[in-house]
Amino acid sequence: MSAIPEIALEKCTGCGDCVEKCPTKAVELVRDKAIMVRPEDCNYCTDCEAFCPSGAIKCPFEIILTKLEPQS
Amino acid sequence: MSSRADFLRSLPYFATLGAEEIKRMEKDLLECSFGKGELLFLEDEPCQGLYAVRSGQIRIFKSSSEGREQVLLIAKPGDTFNDVPVFDGGPNPASASALEPSTVCIVPKETVLSLVADCPSALTIIRLFAARLRHLTLLVEDLSFHHVVSRLAKTLLELAVVEGGPSPVPRLTQDEMAAMVGTIRDVISRALRALEKAGAIRIEGRRILVVDPEKLRGMI
Repeated sequence: MSAIPEIALEKCTGCGDCVEKCPTKAVELVRDKAIMVRPEDCNYCTDCEAFCPSGAIKCPFEIILTKLEPQS
Repeated sequence: MSSRADFLRSLPYFATLGAEEIKRMEKDLLECSFGKGELLFLEDEPCQGLYAVRSGQIRIFKSSSEGREQVLLIAKPGDTFNDVPVFDGGPNPASASALEPSTVCIVPKETVLSLVADCPSALTIIRLFAARLRHLTLLVEDLSFHHVVSRLAKTLLELAVVEGGPSPVPRLTQDEMAAMVGTIRDVISRALRALEKAGAIRIEGRRILVVDPEKLRGMI
């Protein structure tokens, strides 16, 4: 399953900013709460996190050291 | 000018010392004069001791590899400096030069440390504080001389761990990265793209893969 933003529903105010900004329309308001209704469409662009006024959406990145060569 | 003993007693470091201890400090004290622009010591050199300005003004500064300078302190008569390496045992964290003809007193490191020799726990606490102060001095250097891409490269190198290894993989939002690097989220987003374009990292969904640590190191 691809990565999707983490939404703290208790912090979500249902303002809909994330729905408006999501470039792939992966998020919608369901009963006044932001829900990833199409997680497969989410490209983890983090726009929803950037625009969420209540800090309910988090897009953490894992920082991984890989031994892969850049081109491999 | 007051006597050396009076001068020592006027310094906050030694204000509470008794006559015997002041006498011991005075015995080991070195007094040196420097002309305008003359260097007292360089960053990363071994520490000689605690410096106190008797007259003149001393500039304490960090230098970048490109020759830029960040002044940390202009020490005036009665000010002390270079205390961090006295207590944490490391090299001088910054350089010092005279802004005008100046005279400084140097209390050797061993003499300063002898004041707390009979209280090892106090020395441990002072050492910890000194190490933290050194860390903050390095942070000033980072913020002054390195641009955001370079600071982010350094942070990612410090944080990145191999998956499945003994340390948990760190998870950071772009806001958290911005707070660590001393910038704002939008700038982090652009800096990440710059590092990816350079081939040092690859972003796959929620994973930032450090694919070329050497390249990343070269960007610091």
